Amino acid sequence: MGRQGSRPLPALYLLRLYFRLLGAQIRSQLVYRTAFALDALAAALVTGAEFAAFVLVLPRFGALGGWTLGEVALLYGLAELAFVLMDLGFGGFDAPNLSAHVRSGSFSTFLLRPVPLPVQVFGSDFALRRLTRVVLAAGIVAYGVSRVDVAWSVGDVVLLAGSVLGMVAFFGGLFVVGGTLTFWTVESVEAMNVLTYGGRTLISYPMSIYGEWLRKTFTFLIPAAFLSYFPVLHVLGRPLPDGLPGWAAGLSPLVGPLLLAAAFAFWRVGVRRYHGTGS
Amino acid sequence: MIEVEHLHKSFQTRSGGLLRGQRRTVEAVRDVSFRVARGEVVGYLGPNGAGKSTTIKVLTGLLVPTSGRVEVGGLVPWRDRRRYVGRLGAVFGQRTTLWWDLPVRDSLDLLRDVYRVPPDRFRENLKAFTALLDLGPFLGTPARALSLGQRMRADLAAALLHDPDLLFLDEPTVGLDVVARERIRQFVAHVNAEREVTVLLTTHDLTDVERLARRVMIIDHGALLYDGNLPDLQARFGSARELVVDFEAPPADPRVPGLKLVSSEGPRVTYAFTGAAARPIALATAHAPVRDVTVREPDIEATIRRIYEGGLLGTVS
Amino acid sequence: MNAALLRWGLLGQAAGINARLYCAAARLSFRRQFAYPAATFWGLLTNLFFGALRVAVLLALFGLKPQVAGYTPADAVTYTGLTQAFLAAFSLFGWYDLMRTVHRGEIVTELLRPHSFLGFWMAQDAGRAAAQFLLRGVTILTLYALLWGLKLPEGAAGWGLTLLSAGLAWACGFAFRFLVNGAAFWSPDAVGIGRFAWALMGLACGFLMPLAFFPAWFQSLLAWTPFPSMMNSTVELWLGHVSGTQVLRVLGVQAAWTLVLLGLARLVLARGLRRLEVAGG
Repeated sequence: MGRQGSRPLPALYLLRLYFRLLGAQIRSQLVYRTAFALDALAAALVTGAEFAAFVLVLPRFGALGGWTLGEVALLYGLAELAFVLMDLGFGGFDAPNLSAHVRSGSFSTFLLRPVPLPVQVFGSDFALRRLTRVVLAAGIVAYGVSRVDVAWSVGDVVLLAGSVLGMVAFFGGLFVVGGTLTFWTVESVEAMNVLTYGGRTLISYPMSIYGEWLRKTFTFLIPAAFLSYFPVLHVLGRPLPDGLPGWAAGLSPLVGPLLLAAAFAFWRVGVRRYHGTGS
Repeated sequence: MIEVEHLHKSFQTRSGGLLRGQRRTVEAVRDVSFRVARGEVVGYLGPNGAGKSTTIKVLTGLLVPTSGRVEVGGLVPWRDRRRYVGRLGAVFGQRTTLWWDLPVRDSLDLLRDVYRVPPDRFRENLKAFTALLDLGPFLGTPARALSLGQRMRADLAAALLHDPDLLFLDEPTVGLDVVARERIRQFVAHVNAEREVTVLLTTHDLTDVERLARRVMIIDHGALLYDGNLPDLQARFGSARELVVDFEAPPADPRVPGLKLVSSEGPRVTYAFTGAAARPIALATAHAPVRDVTVREPDIEATIRRIYEGGLLGTVS
Repeated sequence: MNAALLRWGLLGQAAGINARLYCAAARLSFRRQFAYPAATFWGLLTNLFFGALRVAVLLALFGLKPQVAGYTPADAVTYTGLTQAFLAAFSLFGWYDLMRTVHRGEIVTELLRPHSFLGFWMAQDAGRAAAQFLLRGVTILTLYALLWGLKLPEGAAGWGLTLLSAGLAWACGFAFRFLVNGAAFWSPDAVGIGRFAWALMGLACGFLMPLAFFPAWFQSLLAWTPFPSMMNSTVELWLGHVSGTQVLRVLGVQAAWTLVLLGLARLVLARGLRRLEVAGG
């Protein structure tokens, strides 16, 4: 046997390998052209219909809890943009995908390859068809940006970019937790859906509409309000609720990665369990 | 190459509901010890659920054993996974490691990056395997469109591209026709001889074992029942050879002194014996006029089945 | 080919409809829905959470307004409860069962059975829908009544007509779902077509927002489609927004669309089966 030690693999190599794995996914998906085109359009239509319904009814009411269409579009678009980017990147950890890999045995195949496990899972379920949703979400954000009464500064842009980054990490963390739970039980999948998809819908609208205790729960217990609601409030020049200071609007890039780091710690526990039971 | 000492693996299973269910400990592997030398081919046999796949999972680093010592090529499989699995090749008959919708060539290309095979070495190996396994006609075909035999050949190539020292073959010929089976056996024999690859083979097809393995290990109910070569197994536990004699006419008395009578049906009489056939034949032909004589060899499959069923032996000899 | 012969041969028998068989199919399918209590529990929780978010959005839209487009805030809460209650029964998130049967080729064995294919599937779906409504729907409505208060239909006549309308909405939706699933006879990519159809249905049947809130032009456009009959009509009857002879008109429209779509479903099925036979299914 060779004598080479197990030095950490160079980051550049891992990145290249990740993109090679994504490339394989993309080529595989493009084999079925019609199915791909239909799926891509349908993916956008599902989100599109939901927002369209909101846009169509808003004129009858004038505003949503004091928020104009443009302002809601900014909030809604940012949440959707972050969620779909996350969905693209973390698809391999999504509970249904991961449990399918475990059941089919391809998860053991990952373990038999000399590459860090997360790189392989990240590279395993890249749903290219969701790109249409990215475009749609970006369009909604752009509409929002054009309609709100804000003198845009570099700080605002950085704040919102950080907000998206934080949301990607936050929801990515939820996906990792959900996927890890399937090492124990598959029944937990629907429970995680409340957190992931429910959380996404929750932060798509201004938190002020949910009533005091719900808003406080999602500020201090589950820090979802920091993700996009506070940054957008700040950009719109409105004070944060509950007497929170202005800098709290910039915490999204901290909150998200913290959850993600905790999620990966849990992931390692799950993988250790897999090594104990083999299923 | 492989050293296993006192390997135990037990699982907790729960029957019934999550809360009220009964916890039970199932011992999948009990006190299994063996060594495999470099370049050996070992057939690992046992009925389903005997502990075969648990052993393989431990040896490939997928499972951490409850207790016992395992070292493969100086490494502990479940520690430092990446370093260890880089030296392994594995083929599982039931599933493929190829990318389902990609041409075989692209899958192999990707695996080159996964295992970081030097470009020259990759080219050499691909050329050699393409010739040996006749991959040429379907290198451009997606894995999903391959026949089972083609897929298995492609998977074998994929498992060996990075020059592993150790190859795990799990049911490599299951579901294949006779020609395809033979081709795969020849390839494995070749790789073992030319590249000194150690092979651990689990299979239900005893022809695989007879053609490839000088040594077999039999496991059942988690314990190793036999570890040795195939002819010895036969000599020790096989049923006797049989001599079928067609006499010119039904003999008045089919019994022959010195031969054990098995059955008698008109002119055809069957005797059992052990060892060489010359003396029994001489005895029979001296007994009465004979038209024809055949020697029937005992069936290995039947022998092994009898080992499983009857527990012919206690533990490892 | 054999399937064709058998189908024609057995058509005679199928005509003498065996009502007991369809009842049995419905009953079996009904019972099957009770097999997964854990999934039902989590499903309810998810449903309730999303429902709460929708209620919050609707109430925030109302703000201090007492009434918009004939809806009071209390109506809007009841509307949300009803749509969330019908969600599972009407398969508003999609239904791919028939598609799967066609794509996997299992349809051939089903065709060998001596009964009407469409009728058998409809009976099965009726059993499933009824079970889902009792299991999830009634639970959700009860929870809404406790949490936010629920408006109920008025009097025995109100209940009777509303339930009749709910039945028609299910039948109309079933025919539409069956029709969409029929795409599987022609295309291996029917799942994508299905996703389109369900997204459209969600918007146009009044699941995402009450149709009354939409701009007038959009409402009159939708009035020419069968989609309002698949849910919105029932909601309006329940809320008492339709009264007098208008009730009969709404029910009539629902029944008419149901018949039209069922007819189309039969036609598509016949065409699809012929295609299956030509392809050697």
